[in-house]
Amino acid sequence: MPALTPGCGHQYNPPPMIQAERLTRYFNDSAAVRDLNFHVSHGEVMGLLGPNGAGKSTTMKMLTCYLPPSHGSASVDGVPLERSLEVRRRIGYLPENAPTYPDLDVRSHLVFVGRMHGLPRATLQDRIREMSDVCGIRQVLHRRIDELSKGYRQRVGLAAAMLHDPACLILDEPTTGLDPNQIIEIRQLIRRLGERKTVLLSSHVLSEVEAVCDRMMILDRGELRALGTSAELARLSGGGAGMLVRFTGDGQPAMARLAGEDDELEVERSEDGWLIRHPDPDFPLGERVFRAAVDTSCVIVEMRRQQTSLEDVFRRMTSEGEDRA
Amino acid sequence: MMSSFWALHGKEWRISLDTPLGYVVATAFLFASGFFFGKNLFLYGQADMRGYFGVLPLLLMFFTPAVTMRLIADERHDGTFELLATMPVSTLTIIAAKFAFAWGQVGLWLLMTSVYAGSLALLGDVDGGQIAAGYVAAFLLAAFYASVGLFASSLSSRSIVAYVIGFVLVLAFFLLGATAGTLPVGWQDVLALVSPLAHFDRMLRGVVGLDDLVIPLAWTLLFLGLSWFQLERRQWQ
Repeated sequence: MPALTPGCGHQYNPPPMIQAERLTRYFNDSAAVRDLNFHVSHGEVMGLLGPNGAGKSTTMKMLTCYLPPSHGSASVDGVPLERSLEVRRRIGYLPENAPTYPDLDVRSHLVFVGRMHGLPRATLQDRIREMSDVCGIRQVLHRRIDELSKGYRQRVGLAAAMLHDPACLILDEPTTGLDPNQIIEIRQLIRRLGERKTVLLSSHVLSEVEAVCDRMMILDRGELRALGTSAELARLSGGGAGMLVRFTGDGQPAMARLAGEDDELEVERSEDGWLIRHPDPDFPLGERVFRAAVDTSCVIVEMRRQQTSLEDVFRRMTSEGEDRA
Repeated sequence: MMSSFWALHGKEWRISLDTPLGYVVATAFLFASGFFFGKNLFLYGQADMRGYFGVLPLLLMFFTPAVTMRLIADERHDGTFELLATMPVSTLTIIAAKFAFAWGQVGLWLLMTSVYAGSLALLGDVDGGQIAAGYVAAFLLAAFYASVGLFASSLSSRSIVAYVIGFVLVLAFFLLGATAGTLPVGWQDVLALVSPLAHFDRMLRGVVGLDDLVIPLAWTLLFLGLSWFQLERRQWQ
């Protein structure tokens, strides 16, 4: 582990907030999560992506000490999962569907959670005030939880997870069941939290992960298929180069000439114009299209690079697994 | 650890006080208790509480599982068990806090029935020692029933199922005691030694031996241990 060496000019690199090595969990004989290696740095927002049954929740349950790993190890803030109570003190956890006590009012629920984390009475009241403002639940503090809408319950769960000011937040599908306005609010909240805390959140909404997370990992059938920023993932997935071109006329001669130049070029007509793809991301598409247009006297009115979307990456990464099975 | 114990214990009281079921069950218990106490006093003219204590194992058999049924089953049903199990609290503390609540709740009902003992004292001479022994026996029986009910609650995520399991388990102990006379003599001796209800009966006669205290407590600890095992099981699956 890198250590701070005063006077040596070395920069101190703290250990990652979450570190997992060959993390594996079996249920009976089938592996829900297999050989997961990753780390989440301090102050990073990491997204956990995957289709249903990919192992996202199982991974979170292991990191929060709800389920022990069958093999492998993990640590939170340098504390191994074996020291369960210490790990749990460092984590704020929002399980899927944000479970809360339906028979309690919101304040009693928060008081209970705060006391379970050992918050002193005076601090607890301040934290409840602060978190109710942050999560927008101040006006429902005295309402029974079973009278609240799904969105409010989700916010109560989030406020409870942050109440003891943990260094690390683990949020399992934090925006499930929320309306579009609430989703935007919760995303903004997570983004704000990510400035001060480490956040690991799971979702199967790709745009959400792209909007909120610094990096993301894609799980499929319990295995880590990719890890990185969305740009890195696009590159890793072999997204290649893509371009959309529109001509004043049909543009057919230019496209026919272009398609004849390279067997790997895919040219297809779309509603917006011509869509051109090449598996090599460094292929000089723009230059080739321009030359083909000049040679065939076609006039280009629009030419724009097509980014490989996270949806494409996700589909490619997870369907590869299906093909293999 | 103690702060989480009191937080959890307090949460159970809060839920109990905030929901009508707790009041309904308490009222029904006190009404039934008053009926059996009054029946012995006015119908048979017995100015003691032996008749009332005699039906207590049956009364508590119906009412204690109604207190314990939700304690773990509802946590599982509502998904809050995952929340609880990922807070900095040990399974032992969870079991202890929930048991303390259930025992405290039933104990509070029993304390309320001390009004009967007070009214008897006003009517004439009563055997204070016998009544005190009866209450000690009743509190120990409540502890045993609460531990069985808590274990039953740990077996299901539906509180009504937990109620039925708790009731049937306690009924099995009760029937074993009731049919003891039909067993061979050797078995009768074993049953008299290990049955918590046999020790309850002995204490009602005003005699409290060390084994009368230890055996019901041992059964209570056994069922609390089984509850702990049931909650920890996910760790080993």
